[in-house]
Amino acid sequence: MNPRLDYGRLFLNAYVYAVLAFVLVPIAIILPMAFSEPSYLTFPPQGFTLDWFSTYFGDSRWMAATWLSLRVATLTAILTAVIGTMATYAMVRGRRGFGSVFQVLLMGPIVIPHIAIAVSLYMFLSAMGLLGTMFGYVLAHTVLAMPFVVFTVAAALSRVDADLEAAAMSCGASRFTAFHQVTLPLILPNVASGGLFAFIISFDEPVVSFFLAGIRDKTLPRMMFDDIEQNLTPVIPAVAVILTLASVAIIFGTALLRHRAQRMQAIGREA
Amino acid sequence: MKADAPRVASGANITIDGLAKRFGQVTAVDHFSVDIAAGEFLALLGPSGSGKTTVLMSIAGFEFPTEGSIRIGGEDVTYTPANRRNLGMVFQKYTLFPHLSVLDNVAFPLKMRGVSKPERHKRAEAALATVRLAGYGSRMPNQLSGGQQQRVALARAIVYHPRVLLMDEPLSALDKNLREEMQLEIKRLHSELGITVVFVTHDQAEALTMANRVAVLKDGRIQQIGPAPELYERPANLFTAGFIGEMNFLPGRLAAAGKTPSIKLDAGPEWRLPAAALIDTPSPGQSVVATVRPERVSLGSEGAAGAIPVRVQDVVYAGAAVLLIGVADCGTELRARLSGVSEVADLRPGDMAHLVVPPEAVLLYAGAAAA
Repeated sequence: MNPRLDYGRLFLNAYVYAVLAFVLVPIAIILPMAFSEPSYLTFPPQGFTLDWFSTYFGDSRWMAATWLSLRVATLTAILTAVIGTMATYAMVRGRRGFGSVFQVLLMGPIVIPHIAIAVSLYMFLSAMGLLGTMFGYVLAHTVLAMPFVVFTVAAALSRVDADLEAAAMSCGASRFTAFHQVTLPLILPNVASGGLFAFIISFDEPVVSFFLAGIRDKTLPRMMFDDIEQNLTPVIPAVAVILTLASVAIIFGTALLRHRAQRMQAIGREA
Repeated sequence: MKADAPRVASGANITIDGLAKRFGQVTAVDHFSVDIAAGEFLALLGPSGSGKTTVLMSIAGFEFPTEGSIRIGGEDVTYTPANRRNLGMVFQKYTLFPHLSVLDNVAFPLKMRGVSKPERHKRAEAALATVRLAGYGSRMPNQLSGGQQQRVALARAIVYHPRVLLMDEPLSALDKNLREEMQLEIKRLHSELGITVVFVTHDQAEALTMANRVAVLKDGRIQQIGPAPELYERPANLFTAGFIGEMNFLPGRLAAAGKTPSIKLDAGPEWRLPAAALIDTPSPGQSVVATVRPERVSLGSEGAAGAIPVRVQDVVYAGAAVLLIGVADCGTELRARLSGVSEVADLRPGDMAHLVVPPEAVLLYAGAAAA
């Protein structure tokens, strides 16, 4: 298009591709290793086998860790979605001043290093006697995942006209009914997508779980870490393959949900 | 069809007594009292920031007053939550619920009142027919034009036969033709339903056309309240005089009070006026402002009694009338709407003209004209 060579644009493109490569190459390397025949990690992979997947599914320790992670992630997703939506609603629609304080508090986990959160949660949960319990994991992950729900729901709420609730109330709806019948249906896709995001955050959260893990109950990332130290078999990349596929599916799901929600909310604001 | 039309409901009377609303240091509404008769159509008219919306929101229950009381149908509702007031409300923006069909939008108030589904769909259909949107029930709000959306909002507001309908500048988002059509539509609904309507607007023409009475607000206080002709013919103060319609303001001094007051205009002549011209009671020597509508001003010959000499600034052809804009010696601008085109045909900017005003068209206010 431009008759002259645009060096700025050329550099920008090169930079973007380099970043993408740095992100994607490690994943591209680890995935084929899951199908490699030797019982140690090698690259490039040799031969082709699905044995490591069956080892994973057949091993009760791996399965126990997976189920624990799934249960923790599911509960975290539900808890963050519910609490996050309520908190965000208060923040966006409530009195000003009050909201910004909570926003800082809720966003904290993004800014504060996970290791710092991990140490403080470790001390807190150990005092409560919740170390290594499912409830302890759920509490910790809810704190970590909260900002992502708050982000998505806040964006959605600011797109939904606050006057819609006033209109519902003038029709005889109580404040709660107005929220439940009008605002919630309009932001529900975003709430769900925030919940799915929380699920992912919880499911592959290593740092905090490392601190909270008991001897028996380990989450999947913690289990993988232990396995790397002790065995270093291609079960690890096999698990990585499964996790990656699940994450990609969930991300696509959330993108779809958000797209649908924005169309609906845009209609509500057309006036 | 006719049998399904809403029965003629009697509207409720509204009594607002000493309403005041303060937001911190700012007083939005002050000493606001009005009695609205059952079935009356009252317009709250004022510039933005005059407090008209705050008054409406207090009646609706979305604002709670700092002082005063609001009674609807004899019942004190000052602090009753919005959803328990049983009022219909139409907002400035189209506030249809985007995820519900048109029919479900209109049926929403009935759903809130526990009406069974077949019954509420039947009544919603009837309300849609009332606003001439029969058959649109299955559409989604975004498939309707702005005017249609506002009519659906109107149907939603009247579907449960409320005794009071509140409207917050409901037509301001519509274009001019549609707005006039909707004004007639709302007037028709008002007389059909016998409902009490409180209508907020900043458009004086809209207020004058639609309402039985208009309350003019400024800085949170009522400036004047009365039927449209009264507001136009006999404004109670200079603000209303300037806010409603076009008005000429002629500064001067009161020369004599009494039964035939006279005024010495800064623009030259001295006028003798009927006693009825005095709105305020200034004493001789005090500054006064004489007001006159441009359509009451006519062109006179040189030397005509009481004529004001002006230098013509512009002659604007406006179809039915010609607008002559002139400036008197003292700098006061005078406008005349003249129906006879021929008499001004020769006037060019810079020419001298002599404007005459019948004494009965003049109203006299104490004080100085606002710049």
